[in-house]
Amino acid sequence: MKKLYALIALLVVAALVMPACAPTAPDCTKPEVFCVGMVTDVGKIDDKSFNQSAWEGLQQAKKDGVADWVQYIETTDAKDYAKNIATFADAGYDVIVTVGFALGEATYAAAQQYPNTYFIGVDQFQAWPYDDDPSNDLTNYAGLNFPEDQAGFLVGALAAMMTKTGKIGAICGTDAVPPVWRFGEGYRAGAAYINPDVEVIVVYHSDVGFDKTFVDPEWGAQTADSMIDQGVDVIFGAGGKTGNGAVTEAAARGVYAIGVDTDQYYTLPEAAPRLLSSAMKLITPGVAELIALAKDAQSGGAAFPAGNYMGKAGYAPYHDLENEVPAEVKARMEEINAMLLSGELQTNVPPVKP
Amino acid sequence: MLRSKISNLLRIFFANWVDSLLVPLLAVVTAVVVGGLVILAVGGNPFAAYIGLFQGAFGTPKAISETAVWATPYIFAGLAVALAFKGGLFNIGAEGQLALGAVIASLVGYALPDWLGFDLPAIIHVPLAIGLGALGGALWASIPGALKAYTGGHEVINTIMMNYIALNMTSYLLNGPMKDPNPQNVIARTPEIAVTARIPPLFDGFRVHWGVVLALLAAWLVWFLLWKTTLGFEIRTVGANPDAAKYAGINVKRTIILTMAFSGFLAGLAGTIEVTGLNYRHELGFSIGYGFDAIAIALLGKTHPLGVVLASILFGAMRNGATRMQFLTQIPVDVISVIQALILLFVAADAIIRYVYRIRSRGERVVLTRGWGG
Amino acid sequence: MDWKRFGFILIIIAVLFGAVVLVGSVKQHPIIIIASMLATTIGVATPLTLGALSGIFCERSGVVNIGIEGMMLTAAFFGWLGAIYMNTILGVSPLPSLLIGVVIAILSSVLMSLLHAVLSITFKVDQIIGGTVINILAVGITGFLNRQLFFEKGSIFGGNVPHAPGTLPIIHIPVQEGIQAICNATGNSEGCQIVANALGKLFDQQPIAITAIVLVIVTHFVLFKTRWGLRTRAVGEHPRAADTLGISVERMRYWNVLIGGLMAGLAGAYFTLESVPSFEPIMTNGRGFISLAAMIFGNWTPFGAWAASLVFGAAQALQINMQVFRDVIPANLAFLQNSYVVGLTPYILTMIILTGIIGKTIPPAADGQPYEK
Repeated sequence: MKKLYALIALLVVAALVMPACAPTAPDCTKPEVFCVGMVTDVGKIDDKSFNQSAWEGLQQAKKDGVADWVQYIETTDAKDYAKNIATFADAGYDVIVTVGFALGEATYAAAQQYPNTYFIGVDQFQAWPYDDDPSNDLTNYAGLNFPEDQAGFLVGALAAMMTKTGKIGAICGTDAVPPVWRFGEGYRAGAAYINPDVEVIVVYHSDVGFDKTFVDPEWGAQTADSMIDQGVDVIFGAGGKTGNGAVTEAAARGVYAIGVDTDQYYTLPEAAPRLLSSAMKLITPGVAELIALAKDAQSGGAAFPAGNYMGKAGYAPYHDLENEVPAEVKARMEEINAMLLSGELQTNVPPVKP
Repeated sequence: MLRSKISNLLRIFFANWVDSLLVPLLAVVTAVVVGGLVILAVGGNPFAAYIGLFQGAFGTPKAISETAVWATPYIFAGLAVALAFKGGLFNIGAEGQLALGAVIASLVGYALPDWLGFDLPAIIHVPLAIGLGALGGALWASIPGALKAYTGGHEVINTIMMNYIALNMTSYLLNGPMKDPNPQNVIARTPEIAVTARIPPLFDGFRVHWGVVLALLAAWLVWFLLWKTTLGFEIRTVGANPDAAKYAGINVKRTIILTMAFSGFLAGLAGTIEVTGLNYRHELGFSIGYGFDAIAIALLGKTHPLGVVLASILFGAMRNGATRMQFLTQIPVDVISVIQALILLFVAADAIIRYVYRIRSRGERVVLTRGWGG
Repeated sequence: MDWKRFGFILIIIAVLFGAVVLVGSVKQHPIIIIASMLATTIGVATPLTLGALSGIFCERSGVVNIGIEGMMLTAAFFGWLGAIYMNTILGVSPLPSLLIGVVIAILSSVLMSLLHAVLSITFKVDQIIGGTVINILAVGITGFLNRQLFFEKGSIFGGNVPHAPGTLPIIHIPVQEGIQAICNATGNSEGCQIVANALGKLFDQQPIAITAIVLVIVTHFVLFKTRWGLRTRAVGEHPRAADTLGISVERMRYWNVLIGGLMAGLAGAYFTLESVPSFEPIMTNGRGFISLAAMIFGNWTPFGAWAASLVFGAAQALQINMQVFRDVIPANLAFLQNSYVVGLTPYILTMIILTGIIGKTIPPAADGQPYEK
């Protein structure tokens, strides 16, 4: 027992001494130190798309010299949204980026509570003015949203043009998430625009909870298999790792695959040989841009673009399949892209599932 | 004279309590040390990590409030599992029973005034929401209980299946008929429950609410049930030796079903309290993992209500403090799960602890496995 | 062989397949649908079969093992880790990396089962608690290491998830050629062609799936036709009698638990090395427990467990195909469109099975009781 006491005493002394070995974060409460924090949704920094891209936006801001210090907190339970945001806000962070629509309400509440901090909400339309009373609009909260339906439309059109069997498919996460819904329905609309006779099968993984719907690559792969057995020869995977599973399986079975969110040619090299394109939402530049605008606004420049801030969407290059895509298809894709950007062409996809 | 009296008391206290407290305590300490080694191995500073953890859990009044918030459902769920253990049953279904409790409580909370056409006073609405929700959990657990009693089907598998069914049903309800119709909302969740159905917070500005008091009350009630009532005696006897119980004239089948029902009631309470006291609605994705944590808590607390309360506070503190730890030291929150797993390992294999610290073995072993029945 | 039980299983599988064929035949030839569903069924059933075999070995010798879930998860993670390490850091080419990954998966699972054996047999810890500890330990370790190795700077992988060397290749068994030859000899009808294609695709399976089926046969043979198997069962039914005859109860149990670990390790390897080349925390998602249900349903016999696993596989195949055929589901069967309802089938089935309504299930007599000399 004596040895035990000695050990405990040693530990206590060490514990008292150790705080000297403090972490390296600067003091963000100082006005000249510009700190940016990011709160992820339940789910981690690792998901190869969403949270990752947003984090890269913060890192970009640091690299460009806009931010002095960037950090993230991963949320492990929805109970902790408010607490995690408050951790940054109370520590004097100048900009807080929250990722995912599920954080919308918590971000809105925090923006009201901390009027001197800027809030950027990725995929949060809660920042939009949703009623006619301008006094409800918050000047420090910008919702970074994307025209996913346009990106989906583009790749849907591409799929319809490249299919030889006349059957194309999309395997998505849950349609309760508006961006996913927009990707899926945009795909359907784009295919119909090119050729209404092309059969489009869109499957949403709505039968499992939010904790599973974007991290179920097996289900994605199995559904892809089933579709390919039915004759589908282009598969669009839109839903985090679930979509990735579908894309890799499609490529492994030799049919065309289309990625989502970022140019998955780089993040899914095992699918690269059959990866036709990706429906991209440019999160990283969008986040970096907004952070820079926040810094500008803080130092007295142009006002922060609060409310709905529309990011950019597009379709990825063909990479290895450059030579397989006929010239007229390429030309048509550029034409559609231009028409969507100018507003001449509307996807007519409702922003949320009705 | 006084001194010898005090030393006698202390000796009795330690003689009775040392076995129950010492081994789990040492298990925790050992796990913390091993966890520290793990942190060290991955390049972190264990002391900074634990200080961060402690700070996050108890450092400010707000932190303490948050720890209490985390501990509340743990206490209920831990009691549920512990009670079942005492009756010789393994209730892995706390997750599903909790979900059912939450669904029913939220339904009563937001829909009942509409159905009735008038507002209910809080004094009726709150107990109704909590009570009906908990009854839902009780019912959900009695099904596997009845199956075990009458067909011998083992409750481990049946409760797990009921979990999946409950989660599936919840998913369906929250995405469909019970979904919040507010156009601003897209998440699968219910509308907010009426103000009259909410449990008030303990102090203004903090999230801790009267549910924690209810939890402590529940712990005391479980203790009372198990050791001061005939039914509790029957439950424990069936748990220790069902054959002997039968020969003693105890209705084993009825006891099994009642044990599961009480267990489910408590687990359902965990869900209802979260809905009525914290979130004021039910949302999909909440309560993932409470079921397994509850098992660990019940085992760590040696299936005794007081132990469960202490273990719940420990686990709640760890979960709550982990984010601050990550914020300060960038050590990932997953290290908490490793430590929790180690704690559990050392508690379960207390023979290891006894060997390392040279404590003599005493007292009964928890015996649950009686094969698959039939 | 319990014919009532088998009959029940066949009926359920027929109903599940039939529902999909009924709905989908407007769009596709029934044989193609059936082949596609069979492929999915076999895929889904593989880890369940292996998990059930693991359970059978453990329990036939008298050790309850609910830690199969944790063992599968451990194997899935370490196998994947091993394959990536071989491929990315050591530059080994994909196929050997994957095979080494399988070996590592099995080793890690055997280690876990060794822990379970030590806890249950030597320390006589309650076996259900021991199994739960294994599960929680597995979740903690794999989650932590997954985070630490792949998403922290300074780890050997540099903070990124490197790309896995793919999955195990499909092995082609020349069924299609064989049937094609018959077709050519009998006039080459279109129906024959379709059968040839469908069956050919069915027999293109990956190694672990094939191994699983082979192991079912091997296990049956070992358990019921060899002396070793007899001793194992003796230790599980009447350990005291076995002891009197000179059989070391502890040694038999240790061996069987370790073999169980091997099976579970293969199951885990399936997830990350054969199915999809990526690891998710808690990706096993309850399949270890469903394997136990399959084992119980199969009355602790290999073929019975395999049949039960096929039922679960068919239920999953039903769910996926209903989603694919969603648009053509006729109005009176509209409830099938709802994936929640369909998704509940495996779980409700399990519960029905456990009630014993199909026939009583009889576990080994000494299952779960630590042996006291």
